[in-house]
Amino acid sequence: MTPWINRQRSLADYTLAALGRRKGKTFALVAVYALVVFVVASAMLFATALTREADLVLAEAPELTVQHVKMGRHEMIDGAEITKIAGLRGVSSVEGRLWGYFYDATSGANYTFQVPSDPALVPGPGEAIVGEGVQRARRATWEGAPLFLSRFTGDMVKFEVARTLGAESALVSSDLVLLNEADFRAFFDLPDGVWTDLAVSIRNPREIDTVIDKASRLMPDARFVTRDEIRRTYQKLFSWREGLMIALASAAVLAFAIFAADKASGLSADEAREIGILKAIGWDTRDVISMKLWEGALVSLGAFLIGTLGAYVHVFGFGAGLIAPVLKGWSVIYPDFRLAPLVDGMQIATLFLLTVLPYTAATLVPIWRAASADPDQVMR
Amino acid sequence: MIELQEVTKLYNEGRPNEVAALGGVSLTIARDAVTVLTGPSGSGKTTLLSLVGLMARPTTGRVFLDGEMISGLPERFLTAERRTRFGFVFQRFNLIRGLTVMENVMLPAAPLGEAYGAVRARAQARLASLGLADKAEIPVEYLSGGETQRVAIARALINDAAVLIADEPTANLDSALADRFLEIVAGLRGEGRTIIMTSHDPRIWGAEVVDRVVEMRDGRVVR
Repeated sequence: MTPWINRQRSLADYTLAALGRRKGKTFALVAVYALVVFVVASAMLFATALTREADLVLAEAPELTVQHVKMGRHEMIDGAEITKIAGLRGVSSVEGRLWGYFYDATSGANYTFQVPSDPALVPGPGEAIVGEGVQRARRATWEGAPLFLSRFTGDMVKFEVARTLGAESALVSSDLVLLNEADFRAFFDLPDGVWTDLAVSIRNPREIDTVIDKASRLMPDARFVTRDEIRRTYQKLFSWREGLMIALASAAVLAFAIFAADKASGLSADEAREIGILKAIGWDTRDVISMKLWEGALVSLGAFLIGTLGAYVHVFGFGAGLIAPVLKGWSVIYPDFRLAPLVDGMQIATLFLLTVLPYTAATLVPIWRAASADPDQVMR
Repeated sequence: MIELQEVTKLYNEGRPNEVAALGGVSLTIARDAVTVLTGPSGSGKTTLLSLVGLMARPTTGRVFLDGEMISGLPERFLTAERRTRFGFVFQRFNLIRGLTVMENVMLPAAPLGEAYGAVRARAQARLASLGLADKAEIPVEYLSGGETQRVAIARALINDAAVLIADEPTANLDSALADRFLEIVAGLRGEGRTIIMTSHDPRIWGAEVVDRVVEMRDGRVVR
């Protein structure tokens, strides 16, 4: 081994022994540090995974959605518009969609009602396929369980729960109630030939702006929403919430930096004496700073690893129970699902910069000051 | 050989609590000899020891080591000289609690970048020569006064220091242990090392092994 490696090994050995001698202080420092990392890492990992989930779900969404707008509000769209849009060059298909929201006073939750476009998901007459959040809210845990829903007219309608949608799609399906078209129209008293919106498929996605341009001339009272716009909305929403959490956590990071600086600058009499002894027996300022950097590296990397791993387990193992209500959604029915593990290297690097650098910066100057002490002080 | 020329040392220079610890000391310390600095408290013994051991720099005056003026060198050069040529035994021994005897003895070698095994073997040999071979893995706080002092000596010599500097080495020891210390000093002198000590203790400056006694008063050498 080279002298440099030998020197680093000796300094690291000494540092480990020093940390071992101050178990209580070391443990407290690592615990506080790891907690700060845990909170920030949880927010970052969760928001990233959530955004990815949204991306995966949106991959199935139509390139373009057309809605009828009246007085700035979304209204039902006439089926005649399907023909108009379908006739535009570049449009491969247009499909009317039926969906809407329903407030269930029994569970105090809002459900999303929908007629599925996938024939395999269309339930039979009098049947409903429900998301796992609805199943939980109404305790309809078995196949064929009755689902009584109160219509806007006040009368009760009974559906049988044909099955429950899997947790893998819970981000969008948790509050879902799927009905066939006839039951849907009957439940909401909708006439034939009107749709909630139109899903438009476009042959060449690069021509989407051209299609919107042409369609908007045909339908000046329509709103055109692209898949990318929805994706961006999701991303902004999650990023905003993540940013809010990190902004709150940054106060904790700052508090921690002050705590670390205070710890480092307020070296105990024993620590100051120890530095004096080391200098007196032949260590120079550089050696003491190296040793303290080793100490800082062991504490900060240890806490960083513990905090990050803790956040990983928290987010991907336990569904981010501590922060999910802030980040996940706005509904009474929070989706209950496991996020696919996803770690963004850039985010981990950012987290490292947000936590390890402030600690190092906060401790370096006080350590340098202590390490620069005259060695002859130990003689007195 | 260590030579001091008209050395002064002020502490807290320019402040209201300024203290003149040394007021123009000139002194030559011979190689391979045992020199004892004596004098009352506050006479400047420890300050002089610090200057000789390159732990502090004089305010004015010059310090020569083997003919080379070193008093103006930057800290890192002084440290490099200090850790390879000087070994220190402090009045309170200043071992680091919580570390074992072996860890304490090896500490001065840590920044030198030597192989761990070689340093450990050297420390083991030094401990054995001081009768501490069986204490190597014991935390130092469990040692007796005499054992603690011998560990401090082993630590001072781990880098094969040519000069051993000891500040009041027998101040905390009983007569038997003071005699044992003098035996060790005699052995080190026999190995060709230079020993410089401060002491109030007549047993030390009256001992046969001591070659020269330097008496100090009020920051000056009086004899």
